[in-house]
Amino acid sequence: MKKVVSEISGAVFSLPWLIAKDHGLFETEGIDMEFVRTRPSGAVPQTESPEEVNPILGHTAFEERRVSIYRA
Amino acid sequence: MVRPDSPHNYPGTLGQRPIAVQFHAGSHYVALRLLEGYLPNDKIKLVHYGSPQQRFEAMWRGEVDACVVMEPWIALGEKLGCKALCEGHYLGAENASDDMDEATFAAINRAVGKAIDLLNADKRRYLHYLIDDPRHAQALAKYGGLTPEDFHLPRLRYVKATSYTDEIVADTYHWMVRWGLIDSKASAADLVDNRIARVAATLADDA
Repeated sequence: MKKVVSEISGAVFSLPWLIAKDHGLFETEGIDMEFVRTRPSGAVPQTESPEEVNPILGHTAFEERRVSIYRA
Repeated sequence: MVRPDSPHNYPGTLGQRPIAVQFHAGSHYVALRLLEGYLPNDKIKLVHYGSPQQRFEAMWRGEVDACVVMEPWIALGEKLGCKALCEGHYLGAENASDDMDEATFAAINRAVGKAIDLLNADKRRYLHYLIDDPRHAQALAKYGGLTPEDFHLPRLRYVKATSYTDEIVADTYHWMVRWGLIDSKASAADLVDNRIARVAATLADDA
């Protein structure tokens, strides 16, 4: 089995992935899929300037190479 | 989306009114793409509020005139009587690290593709994932909760993964440059490399 760690953010984005895992579809393909859930952000400073917000947002696990795939 | 008692009934009256989004995410880009059809650019006032829950609640409390949200917050808002002034869709993206190999990516795509077939055959069967998502289940319950019957199923569009075409990449890049969302010195070719996705799509088709 090939180990893959994937980020799971909002369920609306990851719905097919959640179904695939619960139905054993990744295992059928030889993939040992582990999900890492992003945490919802806490209070954020409100701003009207996009430059003040880090574009990576909550995908820090990908930036830190703790997951190898995410969706947005 | 606006409150049930909001005076706004179409996007053209939202000029200079605060609208909650998450910058650099789908809600930000869809808001611009939708509102620029109704308002001059300098009248579009987007405010970064973070997560969908934070955006929805800022709207519900009246801190902003409108919020941009996705499911299940649309279903919740409509259940509470909120008004959707406009609606847009965008392409989701699978972002893989540079050590992802073609065979693994293809295997993942095959598994997810089978799940998409299951989902599209009976969407309501799988809506509990949206309702019970630990990120917001408690918040949904606070507003009365949702059932699978509360969702408008055609809004949920899941298709099998394909590569972005060069045309889509170029059109999106130029649009982002026009809005100052990307460094104009960067080139689309530098930002998107579909070498794995294209091969993986072929492998997935062959399976």
